[in-house]
Amino acid sequence: MHQFLEAAIIGVGLGAQYALLALGFTLIFGILGVVNFAHGGFYMLGGYVAYTCVAGLGLAYPLAVVVAMLATAALGWLFELLLIEPLIDDHLATLMLSLGLYLIISTVVLAIFGPISMEFAFPVTGSFHAGSVYLPRENLIVLAVCLVAIACLWLVLFRTDLGRALRALADDRAVGMAQGLRPRLLFPLAFALATGLAGLTGALVTPILSLAPGVGEPVLATSFLTVILGGLGSLGGAALAAFIVGLVEAYTSVYFGGSIGALVLFVMVLLLLVFRPTGLLGRDVRGA
Amino acid sequence: MSLLEIDGLTIRYGGITALNGISIAVTEGETVLLVGANGAGKSSTINAIIGLVPAAGGRIVFDGKDLATVPCERRARLGIGFAPEGRRVFPRLSVTDNVLSGAFGLGRAHQKQALDWLCSVFPLLIERAKQPAGQLSGGQQQMVAIARAMCSFPRLLLLDEPFLGLAPVWIQQISAAIAQMKQRGTTVLMTEQMARPALKLATRGYVMRGGEVRRSGTVAEIREIALADEYL
Repeated sequence: MHQFLEAAIIGVGLGAQYALLALGFTLIFGILGVVNFAHGGFYMLGGYVAYTCVAGLGLAYPLAVVVAMLATAALGWLFELLLIEPLIDDHLATLMLSLGLYLIISTVVLAIFGPISMEFAFPVTGSFHAGSVYLPRENLIVLAVCLVAIACLWLVLFRTDLGRALRALADDRAVGMAQGLRPRLLFPLAFALATGLAGLTGALVTPILSLAPGVGEPVLATSFLTVILGGLGSLGGAALAAFIVGLVEAYTSVYFGGSIGALVLFVMVLLLLVFRPTGLLGRDVRGA
Repeated sequence: MSLLEIDGLTIRYGGITALNGISIAVTEGETVLLVGANGAGKSSTINAIIGLVPAAGGRIVFDGKDLATVPCERRARLGIGFAPEGRRVFPRLSVTDNVLSGAFGLGRAHQKQALDWLCSVFPLLIERAKQPAGQLSGGQQQMVAIARAMCSFPRLLLLDEPFLGLAPVWIQQISAAIAQMKQRGTTVLMTEQMARPALKLATRGYVMRGGEVRRSGTVAEIREIALADEYL
C-alpha cells in the first residue's frame, strides 16, 4: 500500500512539472497559433541559468530560480517580438523559427558548458516519512512550487485584464483587435509567460534529474504528448493530461519498470486520437 | 462638422471590387442606416471603418483624423465601438469577460461604471454573467456583442446587421437597447438588410447596391425606396 501511495505522490509531482511545461506550450499554441519547438530549449536554458547563478555567481538557489524564470521570459519576449510577430500568420515559418531557436540554444549551451552533465544538486536533501511512506523532500518542494505557479498562472489568465485579453484574442483575433486589444503588445507577453514557466520548471527540476545539453528534447516530446492528450489549445485539458501522464509514468515505473511508461502513454494517446481526435477537452476548431 | 466622413472609399478583395468610391457622412448624435441587399457592400464599409479590411482608395476621417495609418486596434481607442455581423462573441469567455474585453486597460473604475450601466440596459448580463457566451442563443449573443462594443463608451457605434436572423422578441429588446445608446448621445452607424426595425431607430439612411451608394435621404425617403426594393 505504501508503494501505491508513494507512486501517487510522485505521479502528482511529475504531473505538476508537466503541467507547467504543457500549459506554457498550449498557451503559445492556443493564443498565437504557434507550435513552439523551442519550448524544451527554454526548459534547458532555465536549468543552465540557475546553475550559473548558483555555481558561478554564488547566488542562493531560490534567487537563482527566479533569475532563470525572468531570463527565459525575457528571451521569449524578445524572440516573439522580433522574430515571431512579423510572421505570426505563417505557421510553417514560425515553426521553423522556433526549431532554429532550439538549435541555437542547444549549440550555445554545448559550446559554453560542454557535453558533460553539470553537478547541480538540489540544496535540500533527505526524505519526509509518514508511517511507511517515504518521499524525497526535494520532490515535495518542487511539487509545492509548481502548484503555486499553476495557481498564479490561473489567476493571471482568469482574474486579470491581461488574461481576459489573451483568451479573447485566442477565440477571435480579428474581433479582439476591433475591440482595442493589441496583439503586438499582448502576444510577446503571452510568449514570455510561457517561456518563463518552462525556465522555472527547468531551474526546479534539472537539479533533481540531470542538467546536460539535450535535456530539452524529451521535455518537448512530453509537452507535445500532454497537449495532444489534453486537446490542442485547451488549458484545462493540458493541466488534466499532465497529471494523467505523471501518474501513468509513476505507476508504470513502480510496478512495471521505466520503459513501459512511455509505451503505455503512446498507446493511450493513440487510442484517444482514434476515438476522440480533439483530445480530452479540445475543441473541433481552433480559435487562434 | 461630421464625426465620420467617408470620401470615395474603394475596397477590393483580389480582383473583385466590393466598394466603388462611396461617400458617407455621419454627424455626431445621428443614427444612420446603410440598407441594401446581400453583397451591396454594407459590411465592407463597416469593416473598413474599424480597420479589418484595407482601403484600396479614398479616405475615412473620424473626428477630424484620417484613419489611413491607424491600425485596427487603435481605432477602438479613438472611440469607435464595433459589433460585427454574426455576433462573433468570444465563445469560451464568460458573458462578463466578453463585455469587459471591450474595455481593456481602461481601469477598474471605468469597467465598473460601464458594467453597471450595461447591466441596466441588458439585465441578461447579470442573469448569465458567468455562462460561456458560446452557449447563449443568437439574440442573447447579439446583446453581449453590443454590450462589448459599448463597454468603452465609444462616440461612434458600428452595428453590422444587429437584427439578422433574430426572433421578433429579441429584435424588440435590442431596438430598445440601441435607443438607450442613442439617448446617451452615442452616434450609431448600422447596416441592415431587412430595414423595418432599423428604420424606427434611424435619423437618416443610405441605400447601397453593387458596392455603390445609390440614394441617401431621410427615414421617410429611405422607407419608400426600401419598400419599392422589397427591403422591408
